[in-house]
Amino acid sequence: MMMTHRERILAVLNHKEPDRLPLDLGSAIATTMTAKAHERMRAYLGLPSEPPPATFSRRSSTVIPDEAILRRFDVDARPLILGNPDGRPDREVSPDAFVDEWGVTWARPEGGHFISTDGPFYHQDEPTREDLEKFPWPDPADPGRYRGLRERAKELHEKTDYAVMLNLGVGPVHQCQFVRGYGEWLEDLLINRAFAEGLMDRVVEIWVEITDRALEEAGDSVDLVMYGDDVGTQKGLLLRPELYRQVIKPRHKRMADCVKRHGKPILYHSCGSVYALVPDLIEVGIDALNPIQVTAAEMDTRRLKREFGRDLIFWGGINTQRVLPLGTPEEVREEVMRRIEDLAEGGGYVLCAVHNIQPEVPPENVVTMYEAAQEYGR
Amino acid sequence: MVDLKMLAEAVIRGDAKECARLTQEGLDNGLSPQVLLNDGLMAGMAVIGERFKCNDIYVPEVLIAARAMKAGMVILRPKLAETGAKPVGKVVAGTVKGDLHDIGKNIVCMMLEGAGFQVTDLGNDVAPERFIQAIKEQEAQIVGMSALLTTTMLNMKGTIEALKAAGLREKVRVMVGGAPVTQRFAEEIGADGYAENAAVAVEKAKELLAVH
Ligand code: B1M
Repeated sequence: MMMTHRERILAVLNHKEPDRLPLDLGSAIATTMTAKAHERMRAYLGLPSEPPPATFSRRSSTVIPDEAILRRFDVDARPLILGNPDGRPDREVSPDAFVDEWGVTWARPEGGHFISTDGPFYHQDEPTREDLEKFPWPDPADPGRYRGLRERAKELHEKTDYAVMLNLGVGPVHQCQFVRGYGEWLEDLLINRAFAEGLMDRVVEIWVEITDRALEEAGDSVDLVMYGDDVGTQKGLLLRPELYRQVIKPRHKRMADCVKRHGKPILYHSCGSVYALVPDLIEVGIDALNPIQVTAAEMDTRRLKREFGRDLIFWGGINTQRVLPLGTPEEVREEVMRRIEDLAEGGGYVLCAVHNIQPEVPPENVVTMYEAAQEYGR
Repeated sequence: MVDLKMLAEAVIRGDAKECARLTQEGLDNGLSPQVLLNDGLMAGMAVIGERFKCNDIYVPEVLIAARAMKAGMVILRPKLAETGAKPVGKVVAGTVKGDLHDIGKNIVCMMLEGAGFQVTDLGNDVAPERFIQAIKEQEAQIVGMSALLTTTMLNMKGTIEALKAAGLREKVRVMVGGAPVTQRFAEEIGADGYAENAAVAVEKAKELLAVH
């Protein structure tokens, strides 16, 4: 029986076999394309270069792909994105730098991606909980975030049959790193724990309130919710698993509990090697994991499916560190076949690239990836 | 000798205050700065490198150890300069142009420092010209490049070509690393060494300069 796009995603989220393998491109902050990759794709497919695509994330130089591309690949989900705060919009510092509502400076090399280069707690040797009290936090109630959200969600839900993915902000690991400094915050976890935990609590409180409000507004039209917090690296976890369990997991649980109160499935994103934490993530309450960075240590897809397939949906998996940018179309096909074989049995797999499609990836490889997925995902 | 062991352990624990205190105490007791460096601070960092390599410790532990080592180095550096002590080797390092990931590169720099190298860290988004300028200024023997993106790893090749054009390629050894980089890629672009992690980077750097 032929399913609608939404039914297909929902079937997979319920661990049921879909009529064909569901596909993603552009429904989530880490499953889309950079502006340059998008431009190349349009040219390759002979699509007009206008109108300019909508920005997905300014920080990541990513866009929401042209509907013509998404239809051509028969992608099953579409993104829903919160608005910008009225009270504290990005403050432009130069064409290549701006300050966000957390007081974090984002700067980019010419033509490149933005990265956090400065933040409110960057330069303190030993910041304290009092410093947290004094800080002017972003306002979760700011109406700009929710303006038109209900209408956009409803439109997607009623006028299309795509699954609607609500994209939320990053979790406490990343947000703390942005305001405090990437390494500094990791050091705080060990030598200034009170501050590190206090900061996480503030971040999570704000996150939970925004999520509650967004889902109260638009929940009726949302099929699943996505957010990320990177805890993996190429070679293993970013931090000791015990430290994750002690300090981060309870906060991740608070976030997941909030989404669950609204009855929505969760797609959680963490780059890198996270094998060692998968049981914890399942306990926290996530339903699906992205991006399954297959080139990182211990991210063997067959073993992941065997050990966790009963409880976890896999979302991603197509190798972006070698095959997509550097491989031949034939290798792309083989990669697609392999991941389908490893992950798709009994449902439980949504196929897309391991991260946003980067500028250097040949459009031909991307097209091959989706065509092969359509062919083998029957 | 007990003091040196305690100093190394303070580095391993990441106890910066204790590190500074023991370094000062060692100097006051007449230990030579070179001995405090080699058998205290560097000995501690060597243990950290080994443990990190086998996932026994993680990035946060490495960062606080490096911070502790630096607290000792601040005290030793002027003394070492007085004695005219020479570094094991001179390295110029950075993350290549267009790439802003710097955690891995920072750790590599810290480990190299912890092994007695003089390291000039150029930061991230480093253009070939900046590498070249720093190599000349520092009279570096090794240039270390890090890349975390498949988009930017080709800029390593570009930098090597720029080194050739500047007539420097024969004067420096090139070491590369970062998540997408492999031994094969390193050979393809004509680098002299590849390291998959910071501990191996130290071994490689020593190997490239034939020091032990
Ligand atoms: C000189 O000799 C040597 C020798 C050894 C050397 C060496 C040099 N350099 C490193 N080594 C070696 O020794 C080190 C210590 O043992 C090791 O260093 P590593 O750096 O590997 O390890 C560190 C200790 C810890 N590892 C890390 O810190 C990297 C972790 C991951 C999760 C990561 C992070 C944290 C970040 N990121 Co980025 N990020 C990912 C990473 C996932 C992964 N698999 O690595 C990766 C690298 N990111 C990726 C992407 C896509 C991006 N990131 C971006 C941004 C970021 C953050 C800002 C959020 C943050 C960086 C913060 C910072 N200040 O560095 C963007 C680019 C920004 C830019 N212009 O550079 C952006 C483009 C995202 C976007 N906007 O779409 C992916 C690249 C994919 C690809 N095709 O190459 C990625 C693999 C994630 C993924 N799942 O796909 C060894 O590699």
